[in-house]
Formats: sequence, structure tokens, C-alpha cells
Amino acid sequence: MTTLETGRTVGAGIDRVDAPLKVTGSAHYPNDFSLPGMVHAALVGSTVAAGRIRGIDVSRAEAAPGVLAVITHLTAPALERGPMTLLGGSPPAPMQDDRILHYGQHIAIVVAESAEQARHAARLVHVEYEAAKAVLDVDDPRAEIVENPWGLDTQRGDIAAGFAQADVVVEDTYTTPDNTNNPLGLMATLASWHGDALTVHDSTQWPHNVRTSLATIFKVPESGIRVLAPFVGGGFGAGLRVWSHVILTVMAARQVKRPVKLVLSRPEMFTSVGHRPNSVQQIKVGATRDGDLVAIEHHGMSSVAMEDDDYEPVSFGSVVAYACPNVLTRDRQARLNIPCPGSMRAPAEGQGNFALESAIDDVARAVGMDPLEFRLRNYADEHPLLGLPWSSKALRECYLEGAERFGWSRRTPEPGSMRDGRWLIGYGLAGVSYPFYQVPCQARASVRRDGSAYVRSAATDIGTGTYTVMTQLAAELLGLEVEQVRFDLGDSDMPYAPQAGGSGLTGALSNAVHTACRRLVQEFLDVVADDAASPLRGAMLDDVTVTDGRVHRIEDAAQGESYADILARHGLEELSADGRSTPPQSEDLGMALAGAFGAKFVEVRIDPALGLLRVARVVSAIDGGRILNEKTAASQIIGGTVGGISQAMFEETATDRGTGRIANATFGDYLMPVNADVPDMEVLFVGGPDRATAVGTKGVGEIGLVGLAAAIGNAVHHATGRRIRSLPITIDQLML
Amino acid sequence: MKHTETETRLSGQSPPEVPQVDITLTVNGISHSLQVDTRVTLLDALRDHLGLTGAKKGCDQGACGACTVMVDGRRVVSCLALAAQCQGREITTIEGLSTDGELHPMQAAFARHDAFQCGYCTPGQIISAVCLIEEGRAETEEDIREFMSGNLCRCGAYPNIRAAIRDVKAAVHDVKGES
Repeated sequence: MTTLETGRTVGAGIDRVDAPLKVTGSAHYPNDFSLPGMVHAALVGSTVAAGRIRGIDVSRAEAAPGVLAVITHLTAPALERGPMTLLGGSPPAPMQDDRILHYGQHIAIVVAESAEQARHAARLVHVEYEAAKAVLDVDDPRAEIVENPWGLDTQRGDIAAGFAQADVVVEDTYTTPDNTNNPLGLMATLASWHGDALTVHDSTQWPHNVRTSLATIFKVPESGIRVLAPFVGGGFGAGLRVWSHVILTVMAARQVKRPVKLVLSRPEMFTSVGHRPNSVQQIKVGATRDGDLVAIEHHGMSSVAMEDDDYEPVSFGSVVAYACPNVLTRDRQARLNIPCPGSMRAPAEGQGNFALESAIDDVARAVGMDPLEFRLRNYADEHPLLGLPWSSKALRECYLEGAERFGWSRRTPEPGSMRDGRWLIGYGLAGVSYPFYQVPCQARASVRRDGSAYVRSAATDIGTGTYTVMTQLAAELLGLEVEQVRFDLGDSDMPYAPQAGGSGLTGALSNAVHTACRRLVQEFLDVVADDAASPLRGAMLDDVTVTDGRVHRIEDAAQGESYADILARHGLEELSADGRSTPPQSEDLGMALAGAFGAKFVEVRIDPALGLLRVARVVSAIDGGRILNEKTAASQIIGGTVGGISQAMFEETATDRGTGRIANATFGDYLMPVNADVPDMEVLFVGGPDRATAVGTKGVGEIGLVGLAAAIGNAVHHATGRRIRSLPITIDQLML
Repeated sequence: MKHTETETRLSGQSPPEVPQVDITLTVNGISHSLQVDTRVTLLDALRDHLGLTGAKKGCDQGACGACTVMVDGRRVVSCLALAAQCQGREITTIEGLSTDGELHPMQAAFARHDAFQCGYCTPGQIISAVCLIEEGRAETEEDIREFMSGNLCRCGAYPNIRAAIRDVKAAVHDVKGES
């Protein structure tokens, strides 16, 4: 239950604590580090998508200037596959045999004195392939189909009976393409061995996973491995796994006995660190003429790699979105000769919501109801599967306050009925119910003789604001000023933290920091428990609070003393305490655990003669539980919205159907929004702290993206009468 | 079915020796003499030879703007400039923007407006934004959007980047108005 009551520093939109480093170029990302004696690596990627390596000639590469080693599957040591993780299996160990499973697969690593020499030598590796016909399409009859890959297929009610009651049924197929995460930071690894000990700078979202995985893969003790990632140049999911290039860099460093740095090239970022897989979705929705949903059936098909896994249940979001008595969801994957997909900001939700929220609009129109009214009519007041009240849900407020701010009431329902000169105007909206996710986390808090605090956990801040919000939270809980608190992260020697992902880190970490800070205050009370000189003698934790660096009795603020005084009188330099959080359980609380909710309102403008589509305005109304920092939380939503606009209108990773080659693997060819493509936007936070945890946050890192594709598609329909069911929405689909 | 990947252009030749050149780069007002492989870009010279890692490598193809630095007062994507071409030119990087520990107004505005998230594109955005105003291209909102479109931000901080630039631009106007 929520216990954090005050809001002195928590919630305030203070500037990021790491802003001075980031604006001066002083924040050090993994590829900014150098070590004495460091050498450089470059990769050789397969130019075919399936088959075998018949021969690989490295003699010219080995003879090239500066080259120290060229390692291939013929010379690589045997490596274990990484362990099972919270996110599923690890990628296969690289370069263990002659098989080619996808284009770009790493088949050699070259180490040289300079990066230029390594890159040049990599081009001299001569490969002969025995190419096979690659399986590249989910419809290819040769593709192995994995049914119900995560055991999440659901059915409630009687789907056939539901459709039999329906007066209106819409049934359509939606497709979404491969998208590539493309964090701006090229992912880099710098590995340095000292005997069996290993230090790694890595562009990871999860240092502990890198540590555990490398210990397994190289059969060395975890205690000797240290993984550092104080700053990461974005991730969007690309840094969640210990990918092949990380393993190969560590392997190369062990062989040449020098520190080795590898920086992926931008084209390699398209084939080495995951991507959002394409999807083909069939969705069927039935409603009565009064506007009551009676049946939803949603089938999702995604692509996955031949010998790897990806969690991508695209239809699962349709289970809990609406109060509908009959719902069936099914997911499948087709195994293809492609680089393995992985999580990309709002995995599965980003694709599934596009189909669901487009179909909901079509149903609303078919029954002659405003799409906002239709969504409110079918609002899920309790969790549709569990039948429990939500731990928090302000989606209704999101709809109503968002509509008010946007001016939804000005919308005239007929498609094509709103114009501004040559521009057709369309209003569209979409609702989002983001799933709850939290996993165990730990943190440690210390207060020193000077009264300042040091709090840490092995988390990462990939731009989300973790440094800042945890500093604010610890300052609040310890009664200190923000300037007196340092929160540190990005080091696997710190207490265990899970990945920055799944919109789950803030909830997990804030509750660990909460526990650590409360226990630290208890430590101070323990020290003075029998101290006749202390006004806190004998006080219990619930009797005291903390203000201005002092612990004092709640009923009498004069009855207390400062951290510094307690430490000095008892001859202590510092006191520390650990805290850990475990995810709340619905059955224990009698509440369904809620993730964030949101309503997205979009105005588009379309030039019908040219097919030009512009997003003119976006209002995002978000129930994110307790907001720890209004400024950084709003940035998360703004950034997610840009990602959503990008998914809707720009991004499509193009795979050549003949060769499996990524045909647009550069920033010149792979479209993403630039400054001129993005409008100013409004973000509203509604609702209050979630009841399931002490701090009451709900993650906001992904919900910003979800719903934009459907809201833009719905707005395009409103402007033109044309329903686009294939992303991205491009000019050729809009020529009228 | 067999497929042979060949490097015909290079096959049979011995790898070429790459000449080294002695150059002097003037960066943030300080002159540095170094010997580099002729293939070394300005970006790699700054980062790997001079330890100035503020400018970032996001694509190495001139498409993202993360490596933007000033060369003789103009914004340049340093991944597309060879170090050897920059001899005798005045180079300013993000590390040279603040003076005596005081943030440049654009740096302060970026912090205030939360005009970044991961921060990786930020040095390039800030250099570009400073030049934008000096170029007289921050007069209108449309200009700011257009002439900042060479700097990608994957975290999507574009609206806040514009707000920071507007803020600095307005302050420049205020100062001019008073004088």
C-alpha cells in the first residue's frame, strides 16, 4: 500500500542531476572509455542469410598492417550458451560452427592496433559460402510455426456465442513491419582481462545480466567480473541481451591479452542487437447496435529467428483493454532466417494496439457512435480476467481530460468534413492499457558524517531520468536536500537491479530505495536506542520523521537530532542499510496490478492532391501513478510519442526478399522523424499514486509510444474516409 | 547451390601501407601536434587521439549530426571530415563551449528545458543550435525546425530542443534591445 505521503522534493520538475555532464560532453558512454594498451576490433558479417561457410581465408587479413588476431569459427574457443534470464533464453554462443542462420551473422572478428586497421583487415577476410534458400517470409510454407510461444493464449466466455449476439462485426487484417531500435549511441564493448577477472564497459540496459552471462559463457567466477554502464546512448530494448558482439569482444580480449574495444557500425546495428519483428494480425470485433462490445478475437503472427527467442505476444493487450465478455487471443511465431528480434520500446503492445484500436474505431462508426463515447461505454472498471478492482485506473479521466484539452467536441463525425484550405483535417484517438511489470530489485543507502547521503543500485539510466528521480526520492525519504544526495548506478558491483525495460525499473527501484532509506533511519534509531544523551532514545520508526537532515519525533519536532550529530557522538563515519523490493501480488492485495493507462488525441492534416500527411497536434493524457519528476516524466511521454509517430509514419526495416540483406541499414535510408517532422505536444498526467506499492509509481517509459499508430490511423480515416491497415502510413497509401 | 563471395578488386594484391601524416589541430584554442593515419577522421582524431570524447559517433556516415563540431565557425559533421583536412582551422567542440566553468547559455537552456534524455546527441545538438543562432537561422519557428533537422534525436526531445533554442534566441534579442 502506498506509504509515501509527502511531496517536498518528489514530483517537482527539477533539472536532471546529470544535466551538467550531458551538456558539456562530460558524460562518458561506453565507447568514450580508453585503456592503456587498448586495441580495436571489427566484425565480419555473413553476406548470405542461410547455408554454410565452405571456406574462410584469413591469410590476407592476418598479414595486414597492425593486425593482431583474426578469429573465426575454425579458431574460436568453445563457448557455453548464456543462461536463462528474466527475459527468456540468451542468444546462442557465436562462431561455434559453420552454419549461417541470418544475414549479418558475425563470422569473424579482427583485432588490430587501430580501428582503421581492424576495419580494413575485416574487408580482406575471404569467405566462400554454400548458400541455402533462406526462409524470409512468415507465409513461407517451409517456416516452422511456434504455437502459443509464451503460454499466454487466452479465452474467456464463448467467442462464437458472442459473435452470434453481435449486430455489427468488423474483421480485418493488419500488418506492421520490422522496426529497428536504432538508439543513437552505437553499441560498444570494451573488455579487459586480468587473469580470470574481467572488466567490461558495455552499452547495456542491464549490467548484472552481462556479468552473469559472461561468467557462464567463459566459465569464470562471477565475483571477478565487473560491468560498467554509467551512461548509455539510448537503448529502447537493444541493450537488454548479451548479444554476439559483446561475447566476441570479450573472447578476443582474452586471446590477444590486451584490452579490446569494439564499436558496432550503424549497418551492424540493424543486424546485431535485435529489432521489433513484423506482425500479421487478424482481428474481429463484434458489438450490439447499442454499442456494447460482445466479442473480440485477435490473432497475432510474428517473426522470430531460427534458434533464438523473443517475447512478443502482440494480441495479449486485447485481453484487458475493454469490458467485453467474450475474448479470444492467439499468438504464433514463424521461424525465419533473420537476425533475432528483441524488445523494442513497447514490444507487442506497440503492434497489437494498432490493430485493436483501429478496429474499435471501425466498430464505433458502424454503430453510429462517437469513438470516445464508445470507449467510455465499454470501459473495464475491473480487471476483465481477474474480476478484481484495479490497484489504480484513471483511464476515464485520461479520456475526459484529454478530450477537453484537445477540443474533441469540435470534431464533426463525417469523414472529410473538416478542412482548412487545401488541408483535410482529421481527429483521431486511441486508448492504452499498458501491462504491469515489476521484478525484484535492491538498493543500498548510506549517510555519512557530513550529513550527506550516497544511494546506489546497479540499474541503468538510458535517458529515462533514473539518476534524477532516485536522487529526489532518497532526498525525500531521508529528509535531505537534493544537493546532499548522490544516487549512483551503472556498475554491477552495486546491489542487484533488473533491466531498464518493460516500464518496470522505476517501480522496482523506487520501492527498493524506499525500503533502504527507511531501514537506514532505523539504523540511526538502533544506534541511539540506549543513548541517554539522545532525544530519540527508545523511539520506534513509526514515531519519527526526517526533516532538514534531522531525525525527530513526529509529535514534537524539537525532540530529535541530526544524522551528523548521532554519527559524531558515536564515533561512526557512516551508517548504511540495504533495501529490496519484491513485486506485489494481485491475490495478496485483492487488487489487479495496474500498469499505466493513457488516451492519445491526434490532429492530422492531409493534402489530398499530394498525399502529404502531417501530424499537427498531439495531446497525451497519462495515468502514470505517482510522478516522481514532472519534467522527466513528460519527456518520457514526449519521446515515446515521437517513437509512436515514427512507427506510424516512418519506420520500416526493408529486408531483400531474395537475399535476406537489410536493404536500408543506414540513417540515410531508414526513415525516422527529424526535428521538422515533430509538432509541439501536450502531456497531461492524471490520477494519483497506485495503491499496490509503497511509492505508488507506474512506469511511463513505453506508454508514450503506444496508441499513436492507431490514433493517427483513426485521424487519417476521419480526414479521408480511408482506413490504412498497414504500417507505416505512407504517401502512396494516401493519394486520393 | 554455391555462392562465392569475392573481393575481386583487392584479391591478389598485398594490403596497401597507409601513409602517416603529421598534423597540427587547433581545438578549443589549444594547438595539438599529432601523427595520424591519413584515413583518420576529424571525429576519430578528437575522440581517440586528443581524448575529447564529447563529440559522438552515431552513424559515421554524416547522417545523424551527433559528431557536429564548429570548424572556422561553421557546423561540420566531423565524421565526414578527415583530420588532415583541418590543419590550420579553428575547431570548437562541446568541451570548449563553456568558459571558466560557466555553462554557455545554450547549454544552460538545454538543461532547463530537458532538451535531451540519453544525452548522446546532445553535444552535436548544442553546437548546431549555437551556430544556428549565429547563422541567423533561428528567426522563425519554421527555420529552427528545418535547420535543426540535421541532428537526429532518437529519444525524441525535439520539442524541448526547440524550446531551449527559442529561449536563448529571445535572450539574445533582449540583450540587443537593451544596448
